[in-house]
Amino acid sequence: MKRAAVPLAVLAIIALLLAPLRLNGYAINLLYVTVLSIALAYGWNIISGYAGYFSFGQIAFFGVGAYATALIVVNLHWYWMAAALAGGVLALALAIPLGYVMLRLRGPFFAMGMFGMAQMVRVLVTAVPATGSGSGLFLPPGSGITEVYYWTLAICLGAIALTVWIDRSAFGLRLQALREDEQVAATLGVETTRAKITAFGLSALIPGLLGGGYALFLTYIEPDAVFSSRLDLQSIVMAILGGLGTVWGPLIGGLVMTQISEALWARFPQIYLMIFGGLLVVLLIALPRGIVPALAARFARRSGA
Amino acid sequence: MILLQLAINGVLLGGVLALSALGFNIVFGVMRVVNLAHGDFVVLAAVFAAFGFAQFGVNPLLLLPLTIVAGFAAGALIHHVLLRRLPGEVASAEASSLTLTFGLSYFLTGAGLAAFGGRFVSVPYLTGAFRVGEVSVPQARLLAFVVAVVLSLGFALLLRSTALGRAIRATSQNLDGALACGVDVDRVRTLAFAIGTAVATAAGTLMSFLYNLNAQQGVLFTVNAFAVVVIGGLGNYTGAVIGALILGLTESFASYFMGATLAEAAPYLLFILVLLFAPGGLRGRRAA
Repeated sequence: MKRAAVPLAVLAIIALLLAPLRLNGYAINLLYVTVLSIALAYGWNIISGYAGYFSFGQIAFFGVGAYATALIVVNLHWYWMAAALAGGVLALALAIPLGYVMLRLRGPFFAMGMFGMAQMVRVLVTAVPATGSGSGLFLPPGSGITEVYYWTLAICLGAIALTVWIDRSAFGLRLQALREDEQVAATLGVETTRAKITAFGLSALIPGLLGGGYALFLTYIEPDAVFSSRLDLQSIVMAILGGLGTVWGPLIGGLVMTQISEALWARFPQIYLMIFGGLLVVLLIALPRGIVPALAARFARRSGA
Repeated sequence: MILLQLAINGVLLGGVLALSALGFNIVFGVMRVVNLAHGDFVVLAAVFAAFGFAQFGVNPLLLLPLTIVAGFAAGALIHHVLLRRLPGEVASAEASSLTLTFGLSYFLTGAGLAAFGGRFVSVPYLTGAFRVGEVSVPQARLLAFVVAVVLSLGFALLLRSTALGRAIRATSQNLDGALACGVDVDRVRTLAFAIGTAVATAAGTLMSFLYNLNAQQGVLFTVNAFAVVVIGGLGNYTGAVIGALILGLTESFASYFMGATLAEAAPYLLFILVLLFAPGGLRGRRAA
């Protein structure tokens, strides 16, 4: 099982790299959105899965990255990937003081506090005239979907690599310790504030970097499109469905969800939302810990018997 | 004079917000579940009332008992079939109840869209206003305020003086203690969720003549309810009324003095400031 994983991963990456050469417009868009959602789910999984701070507002950093990129491209005429990188750095820079304040909250208070924070950032962006207010911003055309796709794929692979590292590192252990019991972790010498803020920063950097690509993908951005609570919640559900705080949870959850959602959308556009919501509820009752831990438990039982 | 008018608008809005938040608060108090589908129950009842009025000319106040019973039954069913099955001891118990109610929220939105379409609807009911000097009091808002106050008082009475109320309060305050005293916690939770849903659908029926709504607007009411309850102190019922008045007044004044766009941020700002500086709410005990 373990031995097969490396060649399998290499094959998958090669296929993903070659995909734009073979696929038509619709398929490449679908692939882009899939990779984007999975990358967002990986970003969210660090602060919420490993550190246990459930955030409903990481999309704020995605929106900040998107707007920063759009403003830099429109006003300073940078190459968009450089602008998107700057957007990611800005998101990280904002996340550190914000995390310092917000991470004092816990449980549902943190979750909803972050939701409120994201809404506030959205409203503030809307209120600033430079962003075109609520009516949005047009980006110059020119960068195709292929470039955006490679950028997003690179970040997604980076996020997976980061998660693999976190899962094996002392930093990851510190996060899990504070997830299980913050006071005990602090007593044992974990610098909880520092660990939390680092995790929060990483969970802001990833959506911050992705936002720029999304702005280019849309070519026209407005607050509701980039501060999309639907995109946010979708990535959260992917991570939970796959398995909270696991390395492969966001990937498996993301693949399962995008497949289901695409199949349903094609067949039942009228009652799509209803089936989607119902399915989520059923899956959660059937697999409360997520797909990856459930599979792991099954394999463990089989090899034990 | 304009200040008085703004204050009256704020208080009337606060009354409706208080009723909507009441159901959310009961569910959180008893079950420690943040019900993300709360606003969808509100909106679904509102759209249903508007549909009944448009198609059959049914007075929404006559629909009120029906929606309360339907909300109660739906809530009891949802708790019994779904929420009860969530594992209690998994580290991610909070995550799974959030996800479950999130899925439920999608389900209700989808069902509402499929049944009633996406058009924004309301009930053109009691559109007049009482005038006192230069101040006007919209009749529909006043009625919603009065009904909200009556329902809230009814619930306060239930909590204070019935066996069920005592069991609900005991479970909110100390789960182990309630179990030790022989409270059937599972039954109390089912009833609490059912009552919470019933209050939400009642609030929604009243909302139908205040707001233009479609099935997708649920999240708005969920956020408002959460803000009200956080300001007042989660699980604290008197505090929530004060929270609702504060939020109503903030919205009313902010939209006049800051413009509609920035005013949208005011409740969130208020909400985060309260979270950071008074995490137990303005009147509540410190939250765990």
